[in-house]
Amino acid sequence: MSSVMKIENLQAKIGDKQILKGLNLELEAGKVHAIMGPNGAGKSTLSKALVGHYDIEVLDGDITYKGKSIVEMEAEERALEGIFLSFQHPVEIPGVNNAYFLRTALNAKRKHEGKEELNAAEFLRLMKSHLEMLGMKSDMISRSLNEGFSGGEKKRNEILQMLILEPEVIILDEIDSGLDIDALRAVSEGINKMKDGKRTFLVITHYSRILDYIEPDYIHVLKDGKVIKTAGPELVPYLEEHGYDGIEEE
Amino acid sequence: MNLTDLKNKTPQEITDLLGAKDREMLVERFVSLGLPNKKSEAYRYFDVEKVLDKRYNALTYVPKTLKVSDKIEIVDGIVVAGPQGMRIYNEACQEIDMDHFDPMYYLGHLLCPQTIKIELDGDTEVEIEHRYTQSDVLINYRIVLYNQANRHATVYENFICEDISNTLVLYGYDMHLAQDSTLRVVKMQHMQHNHYTMIASHKVNVAKNAHAMLKSFDFGADKALQLLKVELDEYAHVDAGHLLYLNDDAKRGTVSQIVHVGEHSTSKQEAKNILDGEGTRGIFDALIRVEHSAKYTKAEQNSKAILLHDKAYMAAKPQLEIYIDELEASHGATTGQLDPKQLFYLQSRGISHVEARKMLVIAFANTLIEEVKDTRHQERIKTAFESVFYKAHQ
Ligand SMILES: Nc1ncnc2c1ncn2[C@@H]1O[C@H](COP(=O)(O)OP(=O)(O)O)[C@@H](O)[C@H]1O
Ligand SMILES: [Mg+2]
Repeated sequence: MSSVMKIENLQAKIGDKQILKGLNLELEAGKVHAIMGPNGAGKSTLSKALVGHYDIEVLDGDITYKGKSIVEMEAEERALEGIFLSFQHPVEIPGVNNAYFLRTALNAKRKHEGKEELNAAEFLRLMKSHLEMLGMKSDMISRSLNEGFSGGEKKRNEILQMLILEPEVIILDEIDSGLDIDALRAVSEGINKMKDGKRTFLVITHYSRILDYIEPDYIHVLKDGKVIKTAGPELVPYLEEHGYDGIEEE
Repeated sequence: MNLTDLKNKTPQEITDLLGAKDREMLVERFVSLGLPNKKSEAYRYFDVEKVLDKRYNALTYVPKTLKVSDKIEIVDGIVVAGPQGMRIYNEACQEIDMDHFDPMYYLGHLLCPQTIKIELDGDTEVEIEHRYTQSDVLINYRIVLYNQANRHATVYENFICEDISNTLVLYGYDMHLAQDSTLRVVKMQHMQHNHYTMIASHKVNVAKNAHAMLKSFDFGADKALQLLKVELDEYAHVDAGHLLYLNDDAKRGTVSQIVHVGEHSTSKQEAKNILDGEGTRGIFDALIRVEHSAKYTKAEQNSKAILLHDKAYMAAKPQLEIYIDELEASHGATTGQLDPKQLFYLQSRGISHVEARKMLVIAFANTLIEEVKDTRHQERIKTAFESVFYKAHQ
């Protein structure tokens, strides 16, 4: 298999508490990997470790992306290299205009790739085309980043960023939490649109509902800071019925 | 003459030193307040002794015939140009506040028997450009600004300096807003290291039902202090906003007194301070005084500071002095850092650390910048801020 990201024996702590305890995971390019596990297992911690969040201190192990270790890489560099996290709880930033923010991010990426930057008009056209598909109101252009957004609007805004930035590895942390059925459909449509056989997805959830919309290729069970089982999508109905308690480390 | 020669002198000695015959009242006020020193409350964080101890060459003030220009131009304290038809002339100041808190207000008046008088008569918008061209000098001048009854005027104040150093600028306004008038003053100052130091001492009289909007945007290094006294008549309103961005070892800020004299007068004062350098000292020492006569007053005052350097220091001192019960008043001051969660969010989208900081700092400052409704001036302020910010972070 051609792996795009490899996590080996990852040990990481937040504050004084070790959360990841020797986690191994390999992401196959172009596939959809689902990570499932109970609350508090360390799923969000893993996603933060992958994007270089300041809360997380890596104690041991390695994360390689396209063959290079990224553990020492700054968050912005990882983003420019194509790693994207849709946050479980996107932060509100009053005073930073949503469109301005997105254009700054896109142009940083385009510059990094040696492409021309988009001017305001070009960018607006691009942004509007995605807004419609995601069922987002056009005032999302002028509002402050996530400020006063409903739970659904925040998640749609994460997906909007993904669509515009076109990353290669896409980590979705509880993208379905707090979404009504319309929002879930819109968000899933956005995600499925990004599937092109090359992009890789890591769908993190403790609840299988999202997997009815985004078909996974692999299921990984994360428990107590480790991946304890990897299987195909047939594991989903089993987990739904029996929960995580019966799963033994392989 | 050295300014420190004025220390601990009798009124007679001051009168002789300054040639200030017939101005006994001013001399007396100056002597009773005393030349500022490091113990003077208003000047505590300003290193004022260092500023006043230096020797500055004196300038001779020769009035010029005004050229016609689209803006009022004041070069080294002398007005040289102004818009056609606008009444601008040199005249002795008629109304000096005899109860100002700042000794430099009196020194300014003593040093400037002639002031630049500007009458705003009409619904106008005018730019005043202050230009400084000489090193090692004391530039002192005062401006009297009249806004006629029922008129609505906007003044944009800008400061330009050539490549000078070691100059001290003492200037200030006596502003008079006649009844029912509106005056907006948007001041933008962008200072670089070691060009000049400024002490600006103002008095603003706001007559019945008049509105004053005083917004200052101060960016950069160096030392500048504005000392502001505002007096509000009945139903008068002042809306003061001060945005400060300091780098290097800048020491700057506002010392103010807003005095509610008339009933139903209202005031709003908001300071936002960004301190971005080890030696920076931000100053916001602001008193709101509500006199016995000022029933049903509303006063609101707030200071927020962001420290981008852990050795930076914000001296924020909002104070209320109240002599009546029938009022609504609130004040507060906070100091903090940029939110790491917000910074991380931006960086996780590929935005660099410097750019992310700039975006958050601008977001913090934006509420004040966006109060400047004219988009051209708003852009100008943002651009000036960005250029100073990037310079500090290259
Ligand atoms: N900022 C933090 N400080 C301290 N403990 C934390 C922090 N974030 C998460 N934790 C702890 O780490 C563990 C794993 O959390 P998390 O990765 O969010 O789990 P999951 O996403 O699987 O529900 C939990 O016990 C949680 O309480
Ligand atoms: Mg989680």
